[in-house]
Amino acid sequence: MAHDIEAKPKQKVDRPDESTRPGLFFQPAVDILETPAELVVLTDMPGVTPEGLNVRLEGDVLTIDGQPKSDEYDGLKPLHVEYNVGGFHRRFTLGETVDRDAIKAELRNGVLRLRLPKAERAKARRIEVLSS
Amino acid sequence: MLTSYGDPFARLQQELERMLSSFEGPFAGAYPPLNVFDAGEEVVIKAELPGVDPAKLDVEVRDNTVTIKGERTFDTPEEKAAFHRRERLDGEFRRVIRLPARLESAEAKAEYKHGVLTVRIPKAKEARPRRLQVEAA
Repeated sequence: MAHDIEAKPKQKVDRPDESTRPGLFFQPAVDILETPAELVVLTDMPGVTPEGLNVRLEGDVLTIDGQPKSDEYDGLKPLHVEYNVGGFHRRFTLGETVDRDAIKAELRNGVLRLRLPKAERAKARRIEVLSS
Repeated sequence: MLTSYGDPFARLQQELERMLSSFEGPFAGAYPPLNVFDAGEEVVIKAELPGVDPAKLDVEVRDNTVTIKGERTFDTPEEKAAFHRRERLDGEFRRVIRLPARLESAEAKAEYKHGVLTVRIPKAKEARPRRLQVEAA
């Protein structure tokens, strides 16, 4: 069961359109799970604080932006470097209709957990597909 | 260094980028990637370790060697879930890094905040920067 993690280099992404800050953005690693009732999106965003987090659902497009607290690095002079730091940006088109009023977001230990309950209509449609 | 405008964080990113591009060390693939900083009186190590249970994170400082090890495990959802994407890494990790300065390992401190591990180790007295009084002759 136990295996070693192999690091993958962080992938830079273009700056999100609405960014007002300079600097680098990276593509965060995500897990997307689907249960009969909801979609769960888990996003690794190390260093990002709740104040730096911006999650938007526009139509069926989910956008996740996060900025770390940069003052953590005040007065630090790099000696040995294996990764760069910056914000995170990712955008998805959701294949399910989501009940946007019931979306829950939790940021804990640098991981954003988004729970997107499916809308009633989407649930009913899904049952139809399964039984055909 | 040329004068650069903009915020200090953007300047740090440029500096890290410059050092990364000149760096082809034997550490590719080693998890977690580590950054080491000089903070004058102490050495600071940072590692991005999102979603790790702090109880499963182990940091040991001995002489000038720092060992960071632990395990990243994910809760399995109770309900039957189908994965659409699975990019986040889980498993065990261990890094050992030797630092260039002599350290006061007994006074090292480790903090895990917002998924980032920060280890601060004071330099040994003789390795700290000293300000000399310049006497007028």
